[in-house]
This record gives sequence, structure tokens and C-alpha cells, in this order.
Amino acid sequence: MIRQFVFLLLLTPLLAIAEPKSPINHPYAAAEPSPSPVEKTESPDQESRKVAESSILRVNSTNQAYDFFQPWLKKNPVSRRGVGALVQGGCVLVTAELVMNSNFVELEKATTAEKSSATVERVDYDCNLALLRPNDPGFLEGMKPLTLEKSLRVGNEATVLQLEPNGEIAQTIGQITTISVGSYPLENLGLLLYKLRVPLQQRDGSFTLPAVSDGRLVGLLMRFDARSQSAELISTPVIRHFLDSPAKARFPRMGIAFSALRDPQFRRFIGLTEPGGVYVNEVSPHGSAAEAGIKKGDVILALDGRAIDQDGNYEDPNFGRVLFTHLTHTVAQVGSELTFTIFRKGKLIKVPARLRAPDLSHVVSDAQLADQPPDYVVLGGFVFLELSRPYLQEWGNDWVNDAPKRLVYYDAFQNELPEDRGKIVILAQVLPVPETLGYESIRNLVVTQVNGRPVRSLVDLSEAAKKPLKGFHKIEFEEDPKTVFLDAASVEANQKALIERYSLPSLQRLKGKKSP
Amino acid sequence: MLRVPLFLFCVFFAVGLQAVEVAESLVRIEATSQEPNYKAPWSPGEVSSGVGAGFIVQGDRILTNAHVVSNASFLTVNKEGDPKPYAAKVLYVAHDCDLALLSVDRAEFFNGTTALELGDIPAIESMVSVYGYPIGGKRLSVTRGIVSRIDFQTYSHSGMDSHLTIQIDAAINPGNSGGPVMQKGKVVGVAFQGYSGDVAQNVGYMIPTPVVKRFFKDVEDGKYDRYVDLSLTFDNLFNPAARKALGLPADDVGVQVGTVYGGGPSDGIIKAGDVLMGIDGLRIASDGTIKLDGESVPLTEVVERKFKGESATLDILREGSSLQVKIPLRDPWPFALQSKAYDEKPQFVVFGGLVFQPVDKNFMDAYQPGNLRLDYLFDFFVEDGIYRDRPQLVVLSNILADAVNAYAKDFLFAVVDEINGQKIHRISDVASAFAKSSNYYVIQMLGIGRPLVLERKAVEEARSRILQRYGVTSEQYLKK
Repeated sequence: MIRQFVFLLLLTPLLAIAEPKSPINHPYAAAEPSPSPVEKTESPDQESRKVAESSILRVNSTNQAYDFFQPWLKKNPVSRRGVGALVQGGCVLVTAELVMNSNFVELEKATTAEKSSATVERVDYDCNLALLRPNDPGFLEGMKPLTLEKSLRVGNEATVLQLEPNGEIAQTIGQITTISVGSYPLENLGLLLYKLRVPLQQRDGSFTLPAVSDGRLVGLLMRFDARSQSAELISTPVIRHFLDSPAKARFPRMGIAFSALRDPQFRRFIGLTEPGGVYVNEVSPHGSAAEAGIKKGDVILALDGRAIDQDGNYEDPNFGRVLFTHLTHTVAQVGSELTFTIFRKGKLIKVPARLRAPDLSHVVSDAQLADQPPDYVVLGGFVFLELSRPYLQEWGNDWVNDAPKRLVYYDAFQNELPEDRGKIVILAQVLPVPETLGYESIRNLVVTQVNGRPVRSLVDLSEAAKKPLKGFHKIEFEEDPKTVFLDAASVEANQKALIERYSLPSLQRLKGKKSP
Repeated sequence: MLRVPLFLFCVFFAVGLQAVEVAESLVRIEATSQEPNYKAPWSPGEVSSGVGAGFIVQGDRILTNAHVVSNASFLTVNKEGDPKPYAAKVLYVAHDCDLALLSVDRAEFFNGTTALELGDIPAIESMVSVYGYPIGGKRLSVTRGIVSRIDFQTYSHSGMDSHLTIQIDAAINPGNSGGPVMQKGKVVGVAFQGYSGDVAQNVGYMIPTPVVKRFFKDVEDGKYDRYVDLSLTFDNLFNPAARKALGLPADDVGVQVGTVYGGGPSDGIIKAGDVLMGIDGLRIASDGTIKLDGESVPLTEVVERKFKGESATLDILREGSSLQVKIPLRDPWPFALQSKAYDEKPQFVVFGGLVFQPVDKNFMDAYQPGNLRLDYLFDFFVEDGIYRDRPQLVVLSNILADAVNAYAKDFLFAVVDEINGQKIHRISDVASAFAKSSNYYVIQMLGIGRPLVLERKAVEEARSRILQRYGVTSEQYLKK
């Protein structure tokens, strides 16, 4: 092999401004070529047909998210269509993603095409569920709510219901392949989900689809991979928990990280002779586990008398072997008491724990900020924001690699930051004005101080900006350039010009409220 | 009006003469190299060979690019027009500026050759000729172009260092590396890198003579000391409010210091926020440039031309008062971790089928671990001062699968923090920790709550089995 030497730089020249546009994450309508129409030829499930006619509705939602690069603007509206299931209480159940950032929601009857606008009564991004109530009170008359299937095993069949444009109901039978705790979108919370192998056809309006069996709701389809023909369903215990919990309640969390205890060398090292158990790796300081006194290094052997195996599974009477967090996150409600059997330093102890909702006051980078306008402050052309996952996601699907590294690391390792870190305020971009001369190219810097005051939130920054030092706003960052200055009098005098030049509705929005 | 055609004629004339003379100094270099395999660090690496150019300079030496002779285990050189290959040796290699000097054992090689002389920086738009052995044939090739741009550029051989570079539009292709770029009978540069045709057209780069002369001067004492730098960052001071706030007049002088890297030569002398007004008596403009030999160049060019042991004098403004400071110039550690390394064998320790290696650019390029925590520690190694606590980041880089390490997968690419309570600062600490006998080896990683535990008995039992099965010829290499 002969090589000829010269270094070829294959780098593309750097673009002056990166303008990533986040493609709308469409869990069902994947860009895959649609599979060839394999219509099931089995005799249609009569029970399912009846259900379909009396209990499902088409849902149309027009959604408009905020643009985190220009937080005073909304992105172009997108339409999402799906199929919802009528549940007890006169509401229609859909995925939260279907109505995320919705401007307008409409319910449509399958056969008559009769319509009513609807209100999002509840939405929970932990479990990706929302409840819609028709604005016309008589709209659902004559329809029957679905009951929830209570128990399910791998191998059971379920029928996914889709609606043809002409109102015909298309039924596709699939088989449950996995029942396990898996990550739900948006908040990445691990909850019970079903995997269903189902040869679904690509149809318009399939953002949410109900799956039924014997006239009962088995789950709501939230993701579909056309290549493997595998669907992920929001499970009935999760739906049950959502329906039973009060409005705005979050799913409870333990606040621990644990790992399997399969390694016999490690089991011998910690002196564990009991079978099973999982090892507590991390205890978050404000969670239920910390409050109960569970410690790093504990081995959880049982929960409420149910033995936990070396992978963390217990035997569930309805679903088979399932990760024990199903008990803490879903079967229990906030406030429930559970008893852990723990192996600690050679002894077995019982530790009672009361489950708490997550303590959001310590979140550094929010995982999602749907349905609310993002806060921002514009000071003399500098645009400030608080770091959040949706901001990073503006860099597109590969944001982990494409977004500014330091911000990605702050988001990823936020649990390891000092407790009083507060929010990460960033200078997101510069709208060039005479005051920002020489600073046009700086962006995505982490603000440490403004006018000598530490900044741990946008409110801190807004307050600090009221007190310039000797006629200047002094803004300090973690990265280069470490310090920049703005002429305070000039900033003040040119506010109107800035607003006009960039058509800003307001120079700041804090906690969703525009300030005068 | 008359001068233009006359001038062109002169150039053609000069080139015509040149080709004959240059041919007497041109050398074709064939290198057989062994690039270390970071994924199997005990292996000597695959043998490959390559072709580059070089030319004879004063003192019976051959100048070429460092990347032509990197990792070379055997070198031969051919004079233009002489079929006989001669064995050659690397005298000095400068990876940070991609230059190397070779010697030939048999003195008769230099009979009938002429040492080329170094010229100055050629003028923009002036004509130059490139000599070398690029793809397309075996014999000497000459291409011609003009000087397009004189600027600072990253030298891709190390990937970290930038020096003065001259861009030319003559065709430069694989095989041109190390060849002389000539003007009026003198060398004005060494061809070394370019863009591939699908990125940019007619963009080739050469190392200009100030860089070459610096290399010659550096090795006069018998060894190469590398470049020195200030180890700080600075930012422009265009903004009128910033100038006023810092007490500067509106005269476009001065840049503000951003970061002063701990452990660097400026650490403790310059502070973040200081304004640099002048360097060695030269005025620093607010965009960080100085006037040197009539050209506007970055202020770092002053330091570029200095050597280890020398110093730079900076005029600074700190909190309104002027002062002058002297920076003694030293080695540029810890940046070395982030530049590509050559002519080095990778360090490693194998224990219980677990492979431990220190992280550097070569390691990251070979493994591309895609581990967020490791990426952070590597990317911000200098900026966040991670090197202070850990001069080397040691990771579990590979698992030679065996019963003893069946459950170690979760720890792949984690950074080793402690072994049996002993802090791991560098790879040699791993070797010494495992050398102490213990019933359990408890390996604590950064960011993972649970340690990785190996039993002595299991490790001992697996030892020869693993070495044999995976062809591991040595269990550790710690020399740097």
C-alpha cells in the first residue's frame, strides 16, 4: 500500500451563522417509505368495530411552538391529526404530543364528520397524556366511554384503530411483544409501556391511535417505527394513574439511580448473600428516597414484601416480570407509603418511604417548556435566555453533537452542579445595534454576573440591569470574552429604536408575563 | 505600461533556469512507517509506506515535512535522476510546525548536489513554482501559481498549532509534501497541505521561510524545543463603551485578556481583564494585530519567532494603571494532550482483561468513544483546569471479554478515579495500584456510583488465558 503525502483538509468552511431548524418530531408519520399495504384478512373483530363506532373520535389540533432562538416569535403552525378514545367523565384521551402548544383543537365524529371545538382540560408531559373536553356539551351524547384493560401478557393480541378519510374504521391486529418500563418522550420518565408488533399502514391522521381488545382500551399508540413495524403504547396502568390523580399532579419519583447486581464478584465484595436486589448508585438530594433515608450503596431487596431480582424486576400479577419502579412511579400516587427492604452494611433493615412529586425548584435545565412562552430579556441588543432542553433541541435531532458543547454538558450533568447554582442564564445571540459594536459574533455564553451581581435567573439579570455601574452595564461570562460593556445611557435612549429595528413586541418577558 | 510584460518575461526566464538547478537539489523520499494501533496498544502497528518530496539544504541535510517521516521505521531517499536509493535517518522533527531534517549515512549521496538557499516572504500575487512527486507519475513534477494570501493557519499535522502560512494557487497534490516552492532561485516555502478539490479549488498551502528559519535556529543546540506561547486568550476592543469603561482613549489600541491558562507562562503575571497595549515595544491594535516588517500580523507572531528560555515584554493596563511585565517563555503543556502525537508508543495497562489507557487526541480519534462525560473532560481539559487534578485522564478503554470481566461493560470509557482508595492521576498510578496485592481490586470511576470490583483469585486465574487468547504480547507500557 503506497500513500502519497499531503494533508487534505476536508473541513467545510465555517458558516458565519448556524441556523438549525428543528424538524417537527413526528412520532408516527415517520419519513420512511410506507410499507406496502398489507391489509389483515382475518375476520374483523366485531367487538372492536362496535367500540370504534361509539367510542373513538378524530382529533385535529393546530399547534404553534415558540422559537427559542427568537423567543418573542412563534414558529409556523403545524397541524396534527390523531384518533382519541372517549373515557369516563366525558373527555377524550389523546397523547400530550398531539396537542402540545395547541392553538386550536377540534373533535370530529368518525362517520358523520360532525365537529366540535375542544378545550385541553388536562395535559401531563410525564406520561404523554392529555384530556380534551368538547366545547359543545351535547356533542358526545349517545357515545360510550371505553373501559381500561386491567391485565396484559406478552403474546396477547390488540387491535389498533385508524380512521379512513371516508370515516371507515381500519383495524389492524398486532401482538404484544414486550411489557416493560421504558422511557416516555418529553420528560424521559421511565414508565410501563407495551411494544406491539403491528403491520400498520401509513394513514393521514395517525399521531395518536387507540389500541383495543375485547372492547376495552389496551393503550394509546405514541410511537411507531415503520421499518420494524413496532409500535410503543402508553400502558393502561399509566392511563389509570393519570385519570385518577388530581389535575396538575406530577408522577411520583423515587429520586435514585440504581444498577443491576448480576456480578457475583461484586456481590461477594459487598457481602451480599441474599438473592436478588439492586444497588443504589445515586440518591438525589431532594427526592423521596433521600427523605426516607435511603443511601448510596444500599441494596434494595424488596418493596412492600415483593421480592426484587438482581435486575430490579418483581412479579406483577397483571403484567409478569416488571421493573420495580412501576410500583413507585405508577401504581402508587404522590403521598403513598411504601416499605423498602434494604441490605445495608451487612444488615437487613426496613425503610418506610412516602412518595413525593419531583422538586422542580432545583431543576437547572427544564426538559420541556410546552404550552408556555419562553422567558427572555433583551438588553441593548443582547438576547438573554435560561438554558433549557428545548433551546438545545433547536439545533435539530443531533443537538447533542451540534449544540454548543458547554451548554450540552450543563444540561447533561445538571444534577452534579452545586445546589445553589440556580438557572443557567445565557447570552443567546446579539441583535446588532450601535451599542453592541464589536460584539456581533458572540453567542451562547454563560452569564456569571451583571453589574457586579451574581446571575442565577433571568429575574436576577433583569434586576441587576436596573443598576448600571458608573454609567455602564458590565456583563461577565464564563467563556471568552469574559467581560463586555454597554453604555447604559445609550441603551436606555435607544430602546425604542431597538424595538422598531427588530420588531420586538417587548424587551422582556418574565414568567410568561410581558413587562411594560 | 511597458513594465508589466517585461516583468512577466523575467519570471519565465527565471523559471526556465530554475528547473535545472532545483533538480540538483530535489529528493524523493520513500517512508515505511508503522502507525501504532491505539485499539491494540501492545501491537507494533500495521506497516505502510508513502512517498513525499524533500530538498537539500546547507550542511548536507534534507528538509521535508514532519508528516512525511512520522512514525517511520525505514526511510530511503532518491536524488532526481539517480536511480539508486540511499538509506536516510531523521535528525530532527518538529511536529508542531510540520518540518523535519534528515541525514544520509553515505556522504557520496551529496556529490553533485546543490544546497538550496532560503529566501524571504514572497509578495502577494508574485509567481512561484512548486516541485515534488505528486500523483500522476513517478518523476519530478513542477506546477506554477501565484501567492494568494499570507495568513495564520492551523497546521493539520498536529491539528492544534497555527503559524504563518502562505496560500498559493499552484496545484498541490498528494506527494507534493515537503517539496520546495521556489521564486527567483530561492526557496520561499515548503509545500505541505491543501484542500481536496470538492471543498475548495486551487487552494494549496506552504510553510513560509520564517517558520523554516526558526526551525533551523531551534535545532542549532542539537535538539528541538518546540514553539513557545503566552497561553492566554484575548478579545478585540472595538466597543466604545468598553473602551470608556476601561479608561482607554478612542485610539484603537489594546485588546482585553480573556483567559490566562493556569500553569502557562503568563499564569500569575497577567490577569483576566488586563488590557494588552504593546508587545516588545510594538503597538497592539484593537483587533490584536501588530505591524511587523510592514505587514499587519497577529501579535502572537512576536512570540512565534522566539525560543524556549527567551521572554516577551508586555505593556499592560490594569485597573487604569500602566505597567510593563516580562513573560518568561516555557513549554506549552498541557495543550499537548489535544494535538496529534507521532513517533510515540501508546501507554497502557492490561489487568483482568481490562485495558486502561490515558486519553489524548490519538486515543479519541482511534476509539471515537461518544461518551458525553469523557468528551467534556477532554474538550475542557485545559479551559476548565481539569489537568491540575489529573495530568492524565485514564479510562477503561477496552474489555478483552472473559469470565472475570463479564459485567464490566457498563464501565467502558469511564474515567478511573481511584483504585483501592489510591487516586489515579496518570497511567503509572494504575500500574502501581494493581501491583499491590489485595483480595479485591476496587476500581472507582468518575460519575458512576458503584465501583467495578475484581477478585484477585479470578484475575490470577484468567491472566495467562486472556493474554494467550487475545495475543497480548505485553501487559503494560508506561514510558512517554
